[in-house]
Amino acid sequence: MRGVQLEAFGNPSSVHGAGTAAARAVERARCLLALRLGAQPDEIFFTSGGTESNNLALLGTAPAPSSRRFRLAVSAVEHPSVLEPARRLERDGSALAVLGVDSDGIVRLDLLEKALRKGLDLVSVMHANNETGAVQPVEQIGALCRRHGALFHTDACQSFCKLPLDVNKIKADLVTFNAHKMHGPKGVGALYVRKGVSLSPLMTGGGQERGLRSGTLNTPGIAGFGAAAQLCTDKECAKAAALRDFFISSALSSIPGAALNGHPEKRLCGNINLRFSGVESKPLLLKLSARGIYVSSGSACSAGKTEPSHVLVAMGQDRRTALSALRFSLGRGTTKAQLVYALNELRRAVEEARKCRN
Amino acid sequence: MPELELMDLSGVPCPANSARILLKLEMMDAGARLEVLLDDGEPADNVPAAVSEAGHKLVLRARAGKSWRMVFEKV
Repeated sequence: MRGVQLEAFGNPSSVHGAGTAAARAVERARCLLALRLGAQPDEIFFTSGGTESNNLALLGTAPAPSSRRFRLAVSAVEHPSVLEPARRLERDGSALAVLGVDSDGIVRLDLLEKALRKGLDLVSVMHANNETGAVQPVEQIGALCRRHGALFHTDACQSFCKLPLDVNKIKADLVTFNAHKMHGPKGVGALYVRKGVSLSPLMTGGGQERGLRSGTLNTPGIAGFGAAAQLCTDKECAKAAALRDFFISSALSSIPGAALNGHPEKRLCGNINLRFSGVESKPLLLKLSARGIYVSSGSACSAGKTEPSHVLVAMGQDRRTALSALRFSLGRGTTKAQLVYALNELRRAVEEARKCRN
Repeated sequence: MPELELMDLSGVPCPANSARILLKLEMMDAGARLEVLLDDGEPADNVPAAVSEAGHKLVLRARAGKSWRMVFEKV
């Protein structure tokens, strides 16, 4: 990225030598990313990240509000960057179906099939969930969508380069993915758009990205995106999965009242989501942070009131249970020694929180 | 004569088309040739200049309907 910033400083849309050098960095990344998805380079469109790609996939597919009624279905556990544009389309007159999930957070295919039989234009179901790591049966979903003539979009931000993903195998028409979830830079993402699928741009202007996404390309970010994809290996995912399983089994066996959120096997390699009965996650999060362990609570604080995770609520958890969820994410550099330290501190923090409550 | 690999760059704008040709040439051996299909207009005008600027040779430039067929040799 530094090399590109210093030596390919031209605008990648300019045809002079400096522009062509920058375009080479962009096109190299485009080709590398396409290869990862089993796609063609022309089917990859760069954006500012997952949120923009998800908005483009949903809002860009929908026809103008005045024309025919658009029918879409999204799962109840989608990221807000899918749920919010879906609700916006509903407010504008589209018919929206929100698909329920089972207690492990896996989309119910019977509900999807029922909705498809009634008629859908677009289905959006994420590949893997950002909170629980639940891996959705995208191959079956894609096949169902294709059979019923609906477009299939999947948000693969969490799974890109971590799980095998072939756009033809899963019959996806649109795939969102980004850089920073796999050790790439922040502020860069992409949308795979199957050749022949027509989308309207969200932003117009200079006509970059073949008119679908105007705006000067973030060349160093895109170069970093491609390089990060090149560095990901199956081996590191297997290592993370082994560490994940070690942490989960140790926590469940040594911390009274601990339970796992999400499926024990159908989950992302680096995802751990636990709950501790009778203990809210927020104080735990702060205690762990003070000890150098940075985790997420999986809930959003809005207008001074802590709201439980919509994902856990969709999985059937009550408000109190959902508010006790704590998410640990493992990265490339995570070691077993770090996890042993985190486990000891977690055990201590849960004990302290329970003492405070009593 | 070995069959040339064809790179269809129809619809790919400048300078992304030149960039993809240069990337492909980067992976080829010196003396190897690459055949490309380019749109008329800017691509047909700009690409030969950009590829030549990088030191490679344009060995064929021919009309192919509304497009252009060009062959570049890696130097």
